[in-house]
Amino acid sequence: MRVNVEEKVLSENDKLAQTLRERFRKHKVFCVNLISAPGSGKTALLERTLEALPKSAKVALLTGDLQTENDAKRLAKAGFPVKQITTGDTCHLDAKMVIKALADWDLDAVDILFVENVGNLVCPTSYDLGEHAKIVLLSVTEGEDKPLKYPSIFAAAEVCVINKVDLLPYVPFNLKQAIANARHVHPGIDVIETSCTRVQGLEAWLAWIESRRQAAMQD
Amino acid sequence: MHELSIAQTIVDRASTVSAQNSGARVTKIGLRIGAISGVEPDALRFGLEALTKDSPFEGVTVDIELCKRKQRCASCAHEFEPEGFHSACPMCQSNESTCVAGNELDVTYFELEDSPCA
Repeated sequence: MRVNVEEKVLSENDKLAQTLRERFRKHKVFCVNLISAPGSGKTALLERTLEALPKSAKVALLTGDLQTENDAKRLAKAGFPVKQITTGDTCHLDAKMVIKALADWDLDAVDILFVENVGNLVCPTSYDLGEHAKIVLLSVTEGEDKPLKYPSIFAAAEVCVINKVDLLPYVPFNLKQAIANARHVHPGIDVIETSCTRVQGLEAWLAWIESRRQAAMQD
Repeated sequence: MHELSIAQTIVDRASTVSAQNSGARVTKIGLRIGAISGVEPDALRFGLEALTKDSPFEGVTVDIELCKRKQRCASCAHEFEPEGFHSACPMCQSNESTCVAGNELDVTYFELEDSPCA
């Protein structure tokens, strides 16, 4: 006997992500989902971001890793609310984990929610967290062909942050080619070049966040 | 390796369908996987095999329908299968297009063993 189902495998996650999206809309929260390989500088970018924001900014963060509270400890230094999600063996965050992490937070006190996904360029792409935008980070120590090797995330992300550009003189990374590769996969993708150790390119990054937030609030 | 957690979701869905049909054994699972779904069909098969071992679903057949990526041009509405990941329209060269196929990650059907007393 055949039972026709015709449904998305991740329909359960999609439903939960939709409830998150509705909550974000209701409480006027702008949410971004940061995705990269381990070590590209997601935490460092968020540290510099938090340092650049006024103390009155209504910003909160969720950070995912398989184990340890290390990233949450780093991010908590800036004084904004941070929660670590430890996934155990799971290689990505899913909507259920985000719902659980947000359960005791007052979202009216949050304007921007940064979600730092587990370091992984593949799996987090498949899991909708109800975010307004996915952001992919690529660091210059990784090779300019990464957008071609891992196209799904570059196709899904609205902006590609190329980090560690202060190392460009020391590594064989062709920046122009990297940008061309990202645009080959996703012609409309925005590109922002940053260094989180020399604090470079942060204005462009903060401006992108603010303009995207304003666009999201008008939807 | 998120294929394993995806495989678990499929096995859970199969268990529900089996329970809704008086515990009939699931013999076949139909899936649809798009080229840019981020899921590797072989890894998913492996995950399903590993998860169903020593369970009522052991030996279940997995029928995977693969879907190519298809884009629709925003300027001329031409539908095309991009070469690799390059998504410019071959008719008008526009870079603006939307994905109309290739993202699929669907369960299409389950086949259940007919109950002997049916």
